[in-house]
Amino acid sequence: MSAHADPHDDHHGHDHPHAEIVHSGRPGYYEIMETAVRELLVERRLIGADEIRRQIEVLDSRTPALGARVVARAWVDPDFKERLLADGRTACEELGISFYDDTGLIVLENTDRVHNLIVCTLCSCYPRPVLGLPPDWYKLKPYRSRAVSEPRAVLAEFGTVIPDDVEIRVSDSTAMVRYLVLPRRPAGTEGWGEEELAALVTRDTMIGVAPVELTIAGAER
Amino acid sequence: MTQTEMLLKRLPNDIGGLDGGPIQRVEHDLEPWEKRCHALADVLDFHKILNTEEKRRGVEALGAEMVGALSYYERWIAAFANILFAKRILSPSELAAKMDEVAARWEAEPRL
Amino acid sequence: MTIIERDERVVSAMGEMPSFEVGARVRISQRHPVGHYRVPLYLRGRDGVIERIIQPAGIDNEEEAYGRNAGSKLHYYRVAFAMAQLWPGYAAASRDSLHIEVFETWLERMGE
Repeated sequence: MSAHADPHDDHHGHDHPHAEIVHSGRPGYYEIMETAVRELLVERRLIGADEIRRQIEVLDSRTPALGARVVARAWVDPDFKERLLADGRTACEELGISFYDDTGLIVLENTDRVHNLIVCTLCSCYPRPVLGLPPDWYKLKPYRSRAVSEPRAVLAEFGTVIPDDVEIRVSDSTAMVRYLVLPRRPAGTEGWGEEELAALVTRDTMIGVAPVELTIAGAER
Repeated sequence: MTQTEMLLKRLPNDIGGLDGGPIQRVEHDLEPWEKRCHALADVLDFHKILNTEEKRRGVEALGAEMVGALSYYERWIAAFANILFAKRILSPSELAAKMDEVAARWEAEPRL
Repeated sequence: MTIIERDERVVSAMGEMPSFEVGARVRISQRHPVGHYRVPLYLRGRDGVIERIIQPAGIDNEEEAYGRNAGSKLHYYRVAFAMAQLWPGYAAASRDSLHIEVFETWLERMGE
C-alpha cells in the first residue's frame, strides 16, 4: 500500500499532516472498528448489507460533473436560471439530480458586483448531492477558520483576486440548506453548447474559490 | 471568562474567525473503509438510528484532543461507537469481541 | 405556504408562520448553552438582517443532535451580517458580508 498524507483538523492551531504508512494492507484500528460496527448492525438486521453497497454507489455517482451541468444549463436557459435561483433543489431535481440527504439548496449567483464563497466553519457541510464529496482542504482548519474572517486573503491563496468594488458574500452552512455558487460565464463562449460549457466548470468554481476560465477541457479539479 | 469555562463554551469545532495558517491544497481519494464509513453514516441517518446532527455532536463530544489527533473518518466511527453504546444498540464488550474477530479473520486470510 | 387571500378568522398555530419577515433587523442572542450548538461564537450578540425565510419549518438541530427526529418545528432564516461589524480590522468601508442559517430561537427582533 502506498503512503498517503492523511491530514486532519487540529483545532489547537497546529496542523500535523500525519502520513499513515500502511504495511501490506493491514487494516488500521479504525478500519477494524468500522468493519465490526457494520457487521454487528447487519447481523442485528438494523441495516442491510446491500444498503451500504447501494449508498457507496450513490456517493460514487455524485461528482462535480453534475454541478457543472446545472451551471451550464443556467447559463444558456434564463428561465431555468430563474427557477434555480428561486429554489435550487427543485431546479436540480428537474435535471434528475436527487437530494438523497434531504438537504435544501440555495444557489448563489456571481455577478460583476458580487462574488460568493461557501464554507462550513462548524463541520463540513457541502452540497454533496450535486458536487460529490468535499476536498480535504475544505474540511481543515485553515479554510474553515479564515474563509469567514478574511475571505479576500483566502481567495488570494487560491490565486483569485477580487477587486475591492466587488462585494464578497461568504455563506457559512450550519443546518439543512446547502449552497452552490453559480460562477460567471467566461467571455468568448458565445454560442457554445451546454456540454462544452459544462466542461469548463470545475468543482472549485462552484465553491467560489476560483472563477471559470476559458481553457481547453483540461485538469480535473 | 476563565480557561475552563471557555472549554465548555467554545466547542472544539467552532473555529470560525480563529487563526488558521496557510491553506494547504491537500486532497486524497477516500480509502475503501472511509467510503464505507461515509455510506454507513448515510444509512444510519436514513433509518434515523443515528441522525447526521447526532453524528456531529458525537464528534464534538470526543473532545479537543481526539478531534485534533484523529482523521476525519476516524472521528466518525469513534463517535458512532459511543452513540450506539449510549443508545444500547451495541455494547462495548460486543464491539470489542467483534473487532478481535475481524482482526483475527484478517490475520488468517490477509488480502490487499 | 403562500397566502394570496388572508382569512381573518384563521389563527395559525405555533411554528406555522415565521416570526420574522425578510428585511427584519435581528440580533443573535448572547447566550452560552452547555452542549451542542450550531450558532458559532463569532456571531453571538451580533446584529443582522433577515435575507430569506427557509421553508418548510424544521426541527431545532440543537435538539436533533440529542435524538429528536420530529416535532416542535420552527423556522430557520438566512441572516446577513456586515463583515466590518464582525471583525475588528476588517475594512470599515467594505460591503463584504457573511450569511448563515439561524434557527428562530436564536433571534431577537431589534427595535426600529
